[in-house]
Amino acid sequence: MRHVIIGGSIAGISAAKAIRQSDPSAEVTVLSGEKARPYYRPMIPFLIRKGDIDITFEGDLEKRYGFAVAYEKAAGIDVAKKEVRLESGRNISYDRLLIATGSRPVVPAIPGIRGEAVFTLRTAQDARSIGKSAEKARSAVVLGGGLVGIKTAIALRKAGLGVTIVEKLDCILPGKFDRRGSEIISNIVEKEGIRVLTGISISEVVRAKGELRGVRLSSGDTLDAGMLIVAAGTLPDLDIVKGTGIRTRTGVLIDENLRTSVPDIYAAGDVVEYTDLVFGRSAVSALWTNAEEMGRLAGRNMAGGKAKYEGFLSVLNSSEIFDIPVMAIGLVEPDPLSREYESLVEDNVDSYKKLVFKGSVLVGAVFINDVENAGIYTNLIRSRMQMGGLKEEAIKGSLRYINFIRTVPEQTMSA
Amino acid sequence: MKQIFVRPELCMGCRSCEIGCEVQHSKDKTLFSAVLQSPSPSPRLFVEAAEDIKMPVICRHCEEAPCLNGCISGCLYRDEKGFVRRKKERCIGCWSCMMLCPFGVITRDKEKRIAVKCDRCHKLDLPACVSACPTGALQLVDLDEVPKEIRSRAVLSGTSAYRS
Ligand SMILES: Cc1cc2nc3c(=O)[nH]c(=O)nc-3n(C[C@H](O)[C@H](O)[C@H](O)COP(=O)(O)OP(=O)(O)OC[C@H]3O[C@@H](n4cnc5c(N)ncnc54)[C@H](O)[C@@H]3O)c2cc1C
Ligand code: SF4
Ligand code: SF4
Repeated sequence: MRHVIIGGSIAGISAAKAIRQSDPSAEVTVLSGEKARPYYRPMIPFLIRKGDIDITFEGDLEKRYGFAVAYEKAAGIDVAKKEVRLESGRNISYDRLLIATGSRPVVPAIPGIRGEAVFTLRTAQDARSIGKSAEKARSAVVLGGGLVGIKTAIALRKAGLGVTIVEKLDCILPGKFDRRGSEIISNIVEKEGIRVLTGISISEVVRAKGELRGVRLSSGDTLDAGMLIVAAGTLPDLDIVKGTGIRTRTGVLIDENLRTSVPDIYAAGDVVEYTDLVFGRSAVSALWTNAEEMGRLAGRNMAGGKAKYEGFLSVLNSSEIFDIPVMAIGLVEPDPLSREYESLVEDNVDSYKKLVFKGSVLVGAVFINDVENAGIYTNLIRSRMQMGGLKEEAIKGSLRYINFIRTVPEQTMSA
Repeated sequence: MKQIFVRPELCMGCRSCEIGCEVQHSKDKTLFSAVLQSPSPSPRLFVEAAEDIKMPVICRHCEEAPCLNGCISGCLYRDEKGFVRRKKERCIGCWSCMMLCPFGVITRDKEKRIAVKCDRCHKLDLPACVSACPTGALQLVDLDEVPKEIRSRAVLSGTSAYRS
């Protein structure tokens, strides 16, 4: 069986591993358009300040798992002939194909945005370019207050630049944290000297003879800046599926076995649109964890398995913001008009915790500076378990794994 | 492969296992240093109690380990014996692993800002927690030798399908 995987990041590599583990005789080729050894993408903010740290997947993957990585971009798919056309003009045939092309930054159409000193942060190369430019610049503007925007702002601040985050919605981390959580995080970054402007957009990028000078805001003010980082979110990279008949909406649509609408073609990772376990609708995930899981299951199925994928949590974020751990899981800001949800909140001087319930099922959680045992809550959310009388215990923080073991005589577990 | 078995019905809640673990992971591996070391070495397993049950909750070195699969830096890896371990220098303290471990057995080294977890005392024949347990509530056994009905009961109610 000949497997071809388009995209050599976490979804593609975990699929390749899974295929080889299920079927050691399978022939697997991974096409890596980035032309770089597979690496831990979430680590790239660290390259801004130290361009030489090693963030690649360790060890010789190809030797260990027996797949081949070709540092070439796929240019097209011929679904009738079951062939992938490479940029070099070469064609390779497949029995099973995986689309794992990930996502790409969105760059809004703002006058002056095309040109030097404007960056996005998606690849290791991007991070190094930002780092280089930061050596000369005194100040930076970050367009977008999502996690990537905040991580970039932190790295640039630590490199000594004056940094302003400009978020067009009325709070940072929209959709990723609840309002109060986002307020707390906003306070943390502001205390460390990052300016946060919300409810304001950038109307023009100001240049003099092509050189970046700053940005003009919707409020009429201007901000000086030696560099602009655009962190306005990402969208699935659908270039390769255009014209193939593979069904897409925002992302590639898959069934519960991670198959696309075209026979023998699967999809996994950021490129996919699929069920969110708690939103009750489909979503794109844009998360490492989910991409790993989808890749692994898709690989297993490509090698003949029948793994069923129930869906992901498209909010599943954990990070440290200036030494404060912050986490958001599942549905964190339910519609205030809905009577279906109940939120329990513990808002202390030095920590914050919020649990969102739908009846007696936990559907969302936020933890700031009090993150111990968070995995227990994540697991409850994922498994949609009835919590019964444990709700109060859950917010008090005494919830532990043992609370979920119904006593069975002589119960044993292994480690 | 030999695995640590937990038998809650034998657990008295004495926490000897936690102390054994702390000592093993203290600087010079004595009770004295474990007590005096600051910050104190955190145990990597926890004796927990609910109304009608007590037991040590321990890392299961899961076959499909959520912590390892979700680690964004490459710090967590599976060693040649099958244990889920850390390459400490790679950890960036993002706590993703903590957010994902369904057993709540990953903690934070707040000073070094890195994740702390069970290393199955990979250098010892018998893990320190097992040696320390006076009642046999923690045992190192060959899984293949455990009767099937006991093993099948090891699938705990209320947790999703993370097999060990
Ligand atoms: C700065 C930053 C921080 C992040 N932090 C976190 C975090 O803390 N936690 C978390 O869960 N997630 C985080 N993420 C998100 C995470 O990195 C992504 O969800 C994950 O990388 C998605 O993996 P993927 O394999 O689906 O796609 P990608 O990683 O996007 O990789 C797709 C690959 O396919 C290649 N490709 C595209 N088209 C072709 C083609 N035609 N031919 C060949 N190759 C092609 C691309 O070049 C790319 O290398 C972060 C992302 C960024 C940018
Ligand atoms: S998920 Fe938890 S129990 Fe499983 S290997 Fe990781 S730390 Fe151990
Ligand atoms: S805290 Fe360390 S070990 Fe845990 S996921 Fe983050 S980098 Fe990996």
